[in-house]
Amino acid sequence: MTRGSETPDPDKIIEQMLDDLAAEPMPDPSDDLMKRVLADAAAHLPPPGGAPAAVPWWRELVQGIGGWGAIGGLVAATVAGFAIGLGALDATGVDAVWTLGYGENYGTELGLDAFGWALEEG
Amino acid sequence: MPLDAHLDVDDATLLARYARGDVAAARALTVRFVPRAQAQAFRMLGDGTEAEDVVQEAMLRLWRIAPEWREGEAQVSTWMYRVVSNLCIDRLRKRPRAGVALDEVAEPEDPSPGADERLQENARHAALRDAIADLPERQRVALTLRHFEGASNPEIAAALGVSVEAVESLTARAKRALALALKGRVAALGYEG
Repeated sequence: MTRGSETPDPDKIIEQMLDDLAAEPMPDPSDDLMKRVLADAAAHLPPPGGAPAAVPWWRELVQGIGGWGAIGGLVAATVAGFAIGLGALDATGVDAVWTLGYGENYGTELGLDAFGWALEEG
Repeated sequence: MPLDAHLDVDDATLLARYARGDVAAARALTVRFVPRAQAQAFRMLGDGTEAEDVVQEAMLRLWRIAPEWREGEAQVSTWMYRVVSNLCIDRLRKRPRAGVALDEVAEPEDPSPGADERLQENARHAALRDAIADLPERQRVALTLRHFEGASNPEIAAALGVSVEAVESLTARAKRALALALKGRVAALGYEG
């Protein structure tokens, strides 16, 4: 079959090929295909009202620990423990901030010897 | 009750209804999408059985994605078109290329009138399908929507989320790529004097 001219235009040839393919008769979907598709739809049909929304990981973690009440208790206990710890350090007579190494007078007024004494003797 | 009693309901709404457990929405979506997908897959593959398998797989993906579908992000029809297109490409790439079949065109085995023409037509379609399969996805979708679905450039632009000028560029580049891919074979395919 000859469809072109002496000087065929590539664009026209491609257009012709596309038109030919588009004009190809299309078979109707078979009843079997429709049944298979509907069976898949039924098999994957979410429950009425929709599937439950996905729970974020952090919410699962909170619930695993015991809920927001338990989280509040944990925070309160942590703060209290920290405060008690600081208070106990005060009872030793050593400045807690100084002990942690952030005191302005470190190494000038007390000196390294005093630092060692404070730790060893309380 | 007819299968698609939801003609005035858009695709995304039907999909949302299916996601809430409405089986009637599934029937409506099936009636709406399967014939279109079947035609698209058949044009790309040229094989009815394979086309049906592709359609079933594409619809299965639609059912699975329904609960996570977000309205407004994409058109369901465009999503389906792309899924069917990509599933067809996967199958085409596993096939032997059509170039082998062209050698058989010159001497058809069937002596009945028109047999050689049918063979040549099959070879032409196969060669074109292979060349379309090798196009970049956006070019392929723009070209096939334009030529096989009869979509206008503004409709394609809306489906792809690009400008009309971009659609014109995509289809023009697609045709140039097809011409390049089929260069030297058009005579064997019966398109040149």
